[in-house]
Amino acid sequence: MTELTGKERVAKMFKKEPIDRMPCFSGQGSVTVQAIEEMGTLFAKIHNDAELMAGAALTSARMWGFDGLVIPFDMAAVAESMGRGVSLYDAVEGIIYPTVPNKWQDLDEINIPADYMSKGRMPLIDEAFRILKKDAPDLAIGAWVLGPFTQGGQIMELDILLKGLKKKKDQIEAFLAEMTQHTIDMCKHYESLGVDFLCVREMGSGTDLLSPRMWKTLIKPNLTAVFDAISVPSVNHICGSTDMIIEMMHECGADAISVDQKNDVVETRKKLGDDVLLLGNFDPYGTLTTMEDTTEVANVIKKCIDDGVDSVWPGCDIWPDVKKDNMETYVQTVKEYGVKASPAVKRT
Amino acid sequence: MATKQEILDELVEAVVEYEEDDCVAAAQKVLDNPDVMTPMDGVLDGLAAGMEKVGVLFDTHEYFVPEVLMCADALYAGLAVLRPHIPPVEAGTKASVVLGSVQGDVHDIGKNLVKMMFDIAGWEVYDLGRDVPLEDFVEKQLDTKSDVLAMSAMMTTTMLGMKKVIAMVKEKNPDCLIMLGGAPLTRDVANLFGADGYAESAGNAVSEGIKMIGNLRKFEKGEVT
Repeated sequence: MTELTGKERVAKMFKKEPIDRMPCFSGQGSVTVQAIEEMGTLFAKIHNDAELMAGAALTSARMWGFDGLVIPFDMAAVAESMGRGVSLYDAVEGIIYPTVPNKWQDLDEINIPADYMSKGRMPLIDEAFRILKKDAPDLAIGAWVLGPFTQGGQIMELDILLKGLKKKKDQIEAFLAEMTQHTIDMCKHYESLGVDFLCVREMGSGTDLLSPRMWKTLIKPNLTAVFDAISVPSVNHICGSTDMIIEMMHECGADAISVDQKNDVVETRKKLGDDVLLLGNFDPYGTLTTMEDTTEVANVIKKCIDDGVDSVWPGCDIWPDVKKDNMETYVQTVKEYGVKASPAVKRT
Repeated sequence: MATKQEILDELVEAVVEYEEDDCVAAAQKVLDNPDVMTPMDGVLDGLAAGMEKVGVLFDTHEYFVPEVLMCADALYAGLAVLRPHIPPVEAGTKASVVLGSVQGDVHDIGKNLVKMMFDIAGWEVYDLGRDVPLEDFVEKQLDTKSDVLAMSAMMTTTMLGMKKVIAMVKEKNPDCLIMLGGAPLTRDVANLFGADGYAESAGNAVSEGIKMIGNLRKFEKGEVT
């Protein structure tokens, strides 16, 4: 039997069909400095050039042996296209992700241009997807978007948004409904570019910030609308504290749930059962950048698998400045230790 | 005429119920009743005591960050009334802190909650804001010779900048206490970077900051030395 391609393996995982081993991929940024150095470029340049963006994602995936890849790398692109500008830090030494410098201060100021998807860096991200579709037909090509609440916090001041949840509930609900439609529009746009899966990152909504009650009334309905609209395999990712909202995350209707290291995956499995696709949940910085011993790295990855994930995902973007040995151990352990069946996905 | 306890109760309730107008009114009552209490009583046993209650509500998951932010707004509304009437420290130099979110980080909720703790304590606060270039922290700390340097990074991708700042400041000013805050931080990382303290999230900043407020109140009352 011919070996599955990464794209086939990931597709089968999302369908919960038997596969040869656990797929190794992520819906969060997985570009590393080793790949950027091999390309002879700089981290600050890969966000602003379609060839470099696609190249950095693909070079990283090939270098480490991932089954898939994901672009873009930063969370400022949509806010930039909506008119809030971007800080690219291209004169700064080292690795700093682009950020949004000018957020709206008040709900009344918000004025999103109708054609934002053709503004800022959005066209070059489209072009990067076209390049990847051509150059990486064997890999699962993913896109990620911020969830409606987190995207809202990218275009207006987060503390005003948070306080508004209590003091201006009706206005905030209307704003979040608008952001939900934009999130859906972005997802449909990426679908039209042929992405194989979509990761929706509502990363600012964990219970580090919001109460479960608030999550139920203000986050869940909007995420449910987003996942109802997505046709390709979808992932509901939230980093931070998710134990108190995990059942509601599942009820939003995504094909898979992704959580970070704060989640108690063993408990989550008990709550959700074995049929739910669960992805996670290691600390990428603590594991891939700071650990001195690859045995420790292997143990972290094995624990994720033993706890019951169906694919080992980092809890956040992989910090690009990883240790080579740690990356190799991470991928190798997923492939070798992940030969055994996971709760929701059997093996061939 | 209101008693001291009644006024303090009003301040506490206004902070806990995040009622800014009520907090201003209660603070004004403090000023209107100089025979029964001082503005400092209002700050420590009213506003700060209210925030301690908020900390308990936060720790027990009754309040979350939105509520805490609104409580902080109420506290600041009261503080704006009372602070001008508190005489400067008579002896010695006022303690000072330089704080901000590091370059590449545009989040400042945790930083602002920590700032509140220093504001209550009456420290000289040099708030550099957010997305602050690393050299600005070093420059300001060396310039002011602040007792504390507090830096926040909400994201993994920005926290590495802290390490460089700590090394630069500690080299020239080893006595400066360094506090780090932010979601991706762990105590191990803070230790690795050479910091003196850390809070892992806005949530922890609330808990830790409020515990520090509690200690400050005990200190002011002579319960601890």
